[in-house]
Amino acid sequence: MERNINLFICLIFSLAYALTANSQVSKVVVTKNSFGNFELQRNGTPYYIKGAGAKDHFDLLVKSGANSIRIWSTNNKAFLDSAHQHNLTVTLGLHVRPERSGMDYNDEYAVKGQIEYLKNEVLKYKDHPALLVWGIGNEVDLRYSNFKVWETIEIIAKFIKEVDPNHPTMTVIAGVDPSKAYYIKKYCPSVDILGLNVYGSIENAAVNLRKFNWDKPYIVTEWGVNGPFEAKKTSWKAKIEPPNGIKADQRLRRYKELIEKDEELCLGSYCFLWGQKQESTATWHGMFLNNGNPTEAVDIMEYCWTGRWPKSRAPSIKNISLENIGWRKDHILAASTQATLKIEYLEYNNKEVIVEYVLFPEAFSDKIGGDIQKSPEPINLEIVRQSNNELIFISPKRKGAYRLFAFIRNKKDQSSVANIPFLVE
Amino acid sequence: MKSILQIALGILIFCSLSCSSMREVSIYEPSKSISAFEQFPHKILFTNSAENGLWGVKNTHCKKVSFIKNNNYVGKDHLHIKWNASKCNYIALGLKWDNYKVKNLEPIIQSAAIELRVRIDSGAISSIPMFFILEDYGGNQCRANINYLNLEGGKIDAEWRRIRIPLQAFNYKKREVNMSNIKELRIEFQRKGDLHIDNIIIVPHQHNYKRTKDIFTKVFDTHPIRIGGGKEYWWGINAKYSSDLQFGDSFKNESVIVNIDESNEGSWNTFGFSPYQWMHTDINSIYTTSAINFKIKANELPKIQAILFAYSGERRRLQKTLNESHFFDNKNGIYEAFLPLKSLIGHSEFRWDMLKEIRFKVLEGAEFEIGDFQLIEFRGNPEKPKEWRGI
Repeated sequence: MERNINLFICLIFSLAYALTANSQVSKVVVTKNSFGNFELQRNGTPYYIKGAGAKDHFDLLVKSGANSIRIWSTNNKAFLDSAHQHNLTVTLGLHVRPERSGMDYNDEYAVKGQIEYLKNEVLKYKDHPALLVWGIGNEVDLRYSNFKVWETIEIIAKFIKEVDPNHPTMTVIAGVDPSKAYYIKKYCPSVDILGLNVYGSIENAAVNLRKFNWDKPYIVTEWGVNGPFEAKKTSWKAKIEPPNGIKADQRLRRYKELIEKDEELCLGSYCFLWGQKQESTATWHGMFLNNGNPTEAVDIMEYCWTGRWPKSRAPSIKNISLENIGWRKDHILAASTQATLKIEYLEYNNKEVIVEYVLFPEAFSDKIGGDIQKSPEPINLEIVRQSNNELIFISPKRKGAYRLFAFIRNKKDQSSVANIPFLVE
Repeated sequence: MKSILQIALGILIFCSLSCSSMREVSIYEPSKSISAFEQFPHKILFTNSAENGLWGVKNTHCKKVSFIKNNNYVGKDHLHIKWNASKCNYIALGLKWDNYKVKNLEPIIQSAAIELRVRIDSGAISSIPMFFILEDYGGNQCRANINYLNLEGGKIDAEWRRIRIPLQAFNYKKREVNMSNIKELRIEFQRKGDLHIDNIIIVPHQHNYKRTKDIFTKVFDTHPIRIGGGKEYWWGINAKYSSDLQFGDSFKNESVIVNIDESNEGSWNTFGFSPYQWMHTDINSIYTTSAINFKIKANELPKIQAILFAYSGERRRLQKTLNESHFFDNKNGIYEAFLPLKSLIGHSEFRWDMLKEIRFKVLEGAEFEIGDFQLIEFRGNPEKPKEWRGI
């Protein structure tokens, strides 16, 4: 009798748990509103994605007005849990191996193994309360040659439709292209949304999608400043990075004039990157520095998401030059000679700012598509004299390619950065 | 004569005695064959550190390797490795595998796998960033990773779980590895991890998966070729958003009516199509003797630019602005264009086996119809297409 009672209690608890867990799952659908525009609805309410590609700094993200994060794989459940605690939703990536990583889509064994693995991941996470949209694959089209990858994307999307009616499916591509639009339309009917990683190509993305006859909604899954792959290079192949102030202006314009304006097809966006990573330089895409300090890109996003500027704003470097030659040009110095670096910045409402200069060897990398790159270590910088606007230094003794960074911050560590590559001959 | 008789008698007696001692054998008794796997002598790679040599076990700031004596799967100890690749380019272990004797894996490629047991201290994971590398004595390496299909239970946890890497899973053909001359097995570790490994052996294994063929390439080797067949392979025409470009019907095959609203800054003036169903169109064997041919119906010749795209290669774009030398006036407002592919600057650097798209941009001229695209044979001077008598 006692055993039966225990069993009954267990059953009641299991049922209660199941009901509670299920009640936390959000019902997310793609629908059309009364204006005929596509709209994401979460639990029956319109949900415009104000998001960031982010793995940390969630407090500041919420404070800045965001409502969602995008992560690229299922390898860390803690991100979902943490996002949920912060009342953020998650576009969850299912990592479909791109061909450029060695995956062979003619190899049935590799393909089937990957599909079974990802199906298991879907089952693991489908009822997570933070889940908003499935992101099946990220840039699998980048430098690919075997279009069979779209069959894998469809198999997973179809499986999601079978087991998870609560969350839409999306696949994310690297830039818009007529052949990709054709293949996804033809091979992936179970994909609800197109995810676009667009940097320079964001300028024409909305119109191009229409030209390519894409008729489903899209999310701008990565956007920001033009990427290193689009940047001009010096004669020694170092990529030229604009100062943070220039990049901030570019972000603001792209959000206001391109993303927000496409009310018909665009369901929202995820800015890149709410964090820090090495991609040609340590500061190219990251909206934070590697010491965790936020840059003015964070202020820009707060303005984009809420319509108001933060009370305390980061200073902003608008220009940087070496030997009175601007950052867009080549800079060649003789070894062990004195040189002058100058910066121009806006202080905004900061009474005091701190400027630091750091020298790195150039980090040449042939990695593409956000693949992991190694960060170089700083090297000794021989400073003769420095002020907030000017640095007089001695160029390195050793010939080679270098990059000199200027960091500026206020008392709250809100920062801005600019750099200039130079060659010692 | 006497001695010959004695020898013959001797042979007869020997044969009789031999026959009497012969064993009876059934003609249906099967011969006892030994499989290639059984004959393979190098089945053990690692069962304990005392008997199986490894290199790369020295501790560094990126990896810590130890041999643990308890909770082994087999033998007296097992391998425990913790790694973090954030500060190192390469982290690997090498198994000397029968003390670097030459291993001929050819006979067992279809029927064997490398098997190992793994576990972690706590929790459960379903993937681990490690790769298996076979190296031959020529220094060539091929790789394979852990496939979910051969991960016991679909996870790695505190139990000893079996992993199998079928020899067929190694990309030895692509990497031109001599599988009859294998030196060693390496295990490469990426990102970050903590893993116990034991009992690395060769086991029989049937690998029932095939390699499929490329179905996304269309090869053309004879003329003429109709290109751009099928409206679904065109872009730039979407009546919902623009009436600048629309499909027409004046020609036998697909055509576009161009009627650009020049007062509109955002007018659509570019369209394109795939030569063949967005596949890799391979015209490599005939491109030097090919020209793009199409018709234009207009009161006045428009100024247009043709742009060709390849799916891959160093040079992915070729372009040419067409002028009067490319057009024949067929009268009654019909013009016929010939654009020899050899006239495109940079054509020799272009991947003609990977042709992706043909695009047209209208530079001047607001009203005309263009269509009937094909690739025809052309053997004349590429700069003077009209002068070739073959047209």
